[in-house]
Amino acid sequence: MHAPANPFAGQKSSSRSIERVAFGVCRSATYFILLCAACIFGTILFKGAGTVFQTTAPFINVPFLTQAPETLFVFEHEGVKMKMGDKEFRRFKEEKGLPDIAAESYVYSSGGIFPCIVGTVLLVVGSMFIALFIGISSAIYLNEYSTHGRFVTFIRLAILNLAGVPSIVFGLFGVGLFVAFMPLLQNFDNPAAPTLPVGFGHYLNFSGWNVCLLSGWFTLAFMALPVVITASEESLKAVPMGFREGSLALGATKWQSIRTNVLPYALPGMLTSSILGIARVAGETAPIMFTAAYVVRDKMPWDVERPLDMLFQGVMALPYHIYVVSSKIPQNEYTERVQYGAAFVFLVIVMGIALTSILLRIKMRARYRW
Amino acid sequence: MSPTPSPSARPISEALLNRNRFRFLGLTPGEIIKYFFNGNAVVAIVVLALITIFLFREGAGFFGQNMQNLRIYRLAGLEYVDFIRRQVDEHTAMNRALNESRLAQFNRLTAAGRTVEEVNTALAPFDAFATAFGDSVEDVRGVLSDLTEVATAIKQKDQVNRDRLEQKAMLLGAGKSDEADKITVTPVDFAKETVTLKGTFPACQAANQQFAGKLQAALATAPAMPEAKLQKQIDTVQAQAQALIASLPEIERQMQEWKHDAPIPLSRSFTSFLFGRQWLTASFWQDWYGIIPLFVGSLLVSIIALTIAVPLGVSAAIYVSEIASVREKNFIKPCIEFISAIPSVVLGFFGIAMLGTALRALSQVSWLSWFPGFPMSERLNSLTAGCLLALMAVPTIFSLAEDALNNVPKHFKEASYALGANRFQTIVRILVPASLSGIISAILLGFGRVIGETMVVLLCAGNRIAIPNFTEGLGAFFQPVHTMTGIIAQEMGEVVTGSIHYRALFMVGIVLFLLSLGINYVAQLIVRRYRISIG
Repeated sequence: MHAPANPFAGQKSSSRSIERVAFGVCRSATYFILLCAACIFGTILFKGAGTVFQTTAPFINVPFLTQAPETLFVFEHEGVKMKMGDKEFRRFKEEKGLPDIAAESYVYSSGGIFPCIVGTVLLVVGSMFIALFIGISSAIYLNEYSTHGRFVTFIRLAILNLAGVPSIVFGLFGVGLFVAFMPLLQNFDNPAAPTLPVGFGHYLNFSGWNVCLLSGWFTLAFMALPVVITASEESLKAVPMGFREGSLALGATKWQSIRTNVLPYALPGMLTSSILGIARVAGETAPIMFTAAYVVRDKMPWDVERPLDMLFQGVMALPYHIYVVSSKIPQNEYTERVQYGAAFVFLVIVMGIALTSILLRIKMRARYRW
Repeated sequence: MSPTPSPSARPISEALLNRNRFRFLGLTPGEIIKYFFNGNAVVAIVVLALITIFLFREGAGFFGQNMQNLRIYRLAGLEYVDFIRRQVDEHTAMNRALNESRLAQFNRLTAAGRTVEEVNTALAPFDAFATAFGDSVEDVRGVLSDLTEVATAIKQKDQVNRDRLEQKAMLLGAGKSDEADKITVTPVDFAKETVTLKGTFPACQAANQQFAGKLQAALATAPAMPEAKLQKQIDTVQAQAQALIASLPEIERQMQEWKHDAPIPLSRSFTSFLFGRQWLTASFWQDWYGIIPLFVGSLLVSIIALTIAVPLGVSAAIYVSEIASVREKNFIKPCIEFISAIPSVVLGFFGIAMLGTALRALSQVSWLSWFPGFPMSERLNSLTAGCLLALMAVPTIFSLAEDALNNVPKHFKEASYALGANRFQTIVRILVPASLSGIISAILLGFGRVIGETMVVLLCAGNRIAIPNFTEGLGAFFQPVHTMTGIIAQEMGEVVTGSIHYRALFMVGIVLFLLSLGINYVAQLIVRRYRISIG
């Protein structure tokens, strides 16, 4: 006698096998997405690592990270193929007394990307401050002060729509408003632009700020605004109502209770989730193409006569530099170094910011439980 | 400072409740703080309004300038010359088709092991036909080049005049009237100038007759080809040529009726932008600003991206929200969120450096050659851009669709299980239909993200401004295109502020802006209207 069949065992049926196949398809689709992303990461990290790291101490290619881009010259000298950056090549020609050596040149392919890194950091930090300031304040209003009404619905609608505006449209907007229209306080009357005299021999000339850091900051900040507002509101909502009520019941004013009983608990959450928005903005190229970025600039941002001039100058930016080196110069073994290297550095910066945000958020969720 | 009422004037209750506080502009500190935050919240509205205002401020001038552009096109007789040019262009296109089929046949025969001489002798009758066909247009071409010079000269004259007028206005504005007086502007007499153009009509007619005769003669010598495919191509060319010959009298009639001062309706300025099939800038002849090729390009790339991203994104959302274990969920969700932060320019670079080459290598694999459009002729085309855009759209679609699935009330699911449905049946019959509005709006928002994406399409879509050839069926998906976002990014840096080209780019920006608002609106509408009431 063999044991009776388990009466609770699942029966073989077509619907069950369909289920299994369908689940398999869903699972493979999910992991296919992750695989694609991993593929892209892998390629860029692997190829870029060759530029950024080296096998000898100090293991990091310091010149690549601390020098400005240069033109690369490739030539043959006494039967040996040589590659040199612009300055080195000139020195070499002088030493050898050979004024003209036939050489192939590749722009931006030698040297490093230091000015681009500096420019990107400046752009991101500035726009982050503006976006966080306006965004967090808006969120406080929307969550703490506002009452349900048409006005608030309208604000929410605007935020929602702002989130969907394409980045290049923000770029155009930046050109139209900041680059070509915003007023400058100058001590002369600019005949080519509308002017508003303010007295003391000064005029507000509506001639625009031109391509500069300030234009880029505001353009990027407005782009990040919807993400920051939404993220900040989420974490304000997460603070229990009782905190506010307790404080108000003890006689605190509205602002006092927000300041002492809401913000301290909401702020870490606000900052961490906003960082993800910042990462996305830092990765954008289109909005800064015409508002803040220069293809090439010899001076560093701090080489200015007056401190205020720092705001009114264009900078080199890493995303724009990647665009330039990947579209304006050919793909070959000599240019690959700077292309993958720049992409590597940029990816690491942006992904580092994003990763920080995601990890902090996971940690935060575990810490605050009400 | 507003006058503070004396305490005695206030009702007792208010006096008791309100402490006598510091006021600035009649506001208590609490109110000031409130209005401060309120003001910051309004920034979102202000920015949206400013975007609208400044896009229209820069873009609205386009229609006036485009009208002027179109008017000159007619006044200077460029339109007249284009009647003939169209004939020549059509002929050139046919000629190119003949050459292409010869090249294809040549390659086929040499691949079959025949020597070059043998192939050339075999194709000799075809060559004779092609040469006769090609030469038939020479007379018309001669007339065309003469007329082109005349019309260009008229246009040039007008341009010089316009520049002078501008200079004069500038001098007058600066108060230098005597210098301004020195600049003389003699208005171009378009009527007189175009008479010369129209005077060439008999010559045109004669050239056309010659052309028709020679073309007929050439067509009569069309050789019969042994291969069916080649024969079919020749037949197509023959049919097209016959149609061209048949259309000649109609073209001549149009030329005869053409007037340089026929009024152009104001709407033409709009329609030539919205429905124009050509985006041609910085040309020696005539600039056209028609958005259709760019719009079609954007749409094509988006369709490819969504075709890939929607199945992936939605099945991933289903997997994560319904099937995966908690641990898997905690791993996959941040990972996909992480993907959304990959900078688009890095993706674009990846497309140029790796994906384009890889996809083309794939299309050249021999056992895939049955697929329409394979092998791809270009490394960078709509497919390359579409694949990368799909990766950008997946996080958006995934996270919104997952939210929608999570928002389905739990008892829907429980009721389904209670009736004996298994998990898959519950997902397909209950959960997905219940959250369909959310999923569709997720797809729409993904579409909005894709169509507004710039760097990937700028780097990877191939940047050829032309409407893809849809007669090739699926092959159209492997052709290079240019997009609305791409054209702005590419040309904005090179245009003169205030020129018609500059304004045209802002108009493209307005179209994009309105499109994104529309997509957003529809997505919200769907969610609001079709959400299954919860409860």
